[in-house]
Amino acid sequence: MSSVEDILAAENELTHLLGAQQAVVLSTRIRLARNLDGMPFPGWAKVPQRKEIADRCVEALDALPKFRRGHVLRMGELGDRDRAVLVERHLVSKELAAGKSGAAVISRDQTCSVMVNEEDHLRIQVVKAGWHLRGTWHIAEQLDDALGGSLRLAFSDRLGYLTACPTNVGTGLRASAMVHLPGLCLAGHMDKVSRALNQDGLAVRGWLGEGTEAAGNVFQISNQQTLGLSEEAILRHLGGWIKNVVEQEWNARRKLAQEEGEKFVDRLARSLGVLRSARLLTSSEAMNMLSHLRLACDMGCLPEERRHLVDRLMIEGQPAHVQARAGQELDSDGRDRRRAAVVREALKDFPEVVPPTA
Amino acid sequence: MSQPIKCSLCEEAATVHLSQVVHGKVTKVHLCEACAQKGGATDPAVFQLADALTPASPAPSLTCPKCGFTDIDFRKRGRLGCPDCWETFGDALGGLLLKVQHEASHVGRAPAGTLPAGQLRRRLDDARREMEKAITGEDYEAAARLRDEIAGLEQQLAHS
Repeated sequence: MSSVEDILAAENELTHLLGAQQAVVLSTRIRLARNLDGMPFPGWAKVPQRKEIADRCVEALDALPKFRRGHVLRMGELGDRDRAVLVERHLVSKELAAGKSGAAVISRDQTCSVMVNEEDHLRIQVVKAGWHLRGTWHIAEQLDDALGGSLRLAFSDRLGYLTACPTNVGTGLRASAMVHLPGLCLAGHMDKVSRALNQDGLAVRGWLGEGTEAAGNVFQISNQQTLGLSEEAILRHLGGWIKNVVEQEWNARRKLAQEEGEKFVDRLARSLGVLRSARLLTSSEAMNMLSHLRLACDMGCLPEERRHLVDRLMIEGQPAHVQARAGQELDSDGRDRRRAAVVREALKDFPEVVPPTA
Repeated sequence: MSQPIKCSLCEEAATVHLSQVVHGKVTKVHLCEACAQKGGATDPAVFQLADALTPASPAPSLTCPKCGFTDIDFRKRGRLGCPDCWETFGDALGGLLLKVQHEASHVGRAPAGTLPAGQLRRRLDDARREMEKAITGEDYEAAARLRDEIAGLEQQLAHS
């Protein structure tokens, strides 16, 4: 079994509810950019240097207890579909998957993945299901300390951790929350919320990060400034805003449910109906209707314990996942057919949508 | 009848007229159809007048002694060549850093035990002030976290 098949088959944080999974916040993520002292950054390094960087980093990571029985994946050795699966799971970035000299070291439970030779030598990433900013940060901090113990990292007293791009220098920290905001989207408030977040130094992006659209009303909110603020201050700032956004989302949902009444329930029930009977489902159609099911689970219109299944379908309904499950390359119609079949099967014993209780 | 305006880049008659704010000054530029297409003027997101009007100088003015990276490379890529480039280009990047980061110096973590005492003291002051604020605001969860952070910083300072 290849390592990527192993990753797909294993129970893990995001698809199997290992963390406390919640309404509104799908997951919390911490990313730290780090570089080896005295080595050129991956974008400027020559091929033999990149190989040396990869070997040194992978060796150091492989020795950490966190990655025991984990996965070491070298991008140059993986096929297109396997790399696309890793991108869809957010375990590696599109940039890392596009190059040959990158590698990813992934912990067994898939909460920690370190990208080697992306824009920086090391990109430490920790992800937890639900909203767990402190817990996620502590894991990243421990990994950073452990790596700092075995590798000499590029650091300056004045500028902090030195990175390839000026947008990451200092703490190298990008903290983010993946949030599901159907209420704010349906109410037409999302532009306003986005603007307010932007103005206070936070970035709002789509489901797959930079430059992607917000399929399924899912957005990623993260800090932009990395220099001149302590990690503690960055986390506090993001944390305060996420709390605020979650409150606004709940207000929007309650208001909608109250004002729309039967129309609100009808919308959710129709989505369940389509998902349960469609023969062809495109990826974006599936995402948008699954978003309605997640909203239904949050609002008590569907049993809350079904929510993790909706989350899993959002991840596994993506194109490379559908093909990996089918074990073959499929054209667009083939994927839509296969996706519809998987969703129909998963939802066949779902109960009917009832009026909200939340 | 007045003379037709000429393209800023060649001698053709200009048909595209743009104004853009560059470094706080309104700059006007007039381009012919061909130059406008070439410069990507139809896509305002990627079109930068400054680039169109000041072609990259062929000779680099700064070179990193460690990795050979130059200021021209930075203009092309927006990324530096190696950690030592920060030493070489640090001053030249000052303005850009302030623009993207709003700050010029690091106050966060350091690889185990390397944070200088001055920085530790500054962080300690910040944390104490934040704790006062948290207590006044009755955010006891935040106050407890800050208390732990302060204890940690005091310990580091005692050992530095």
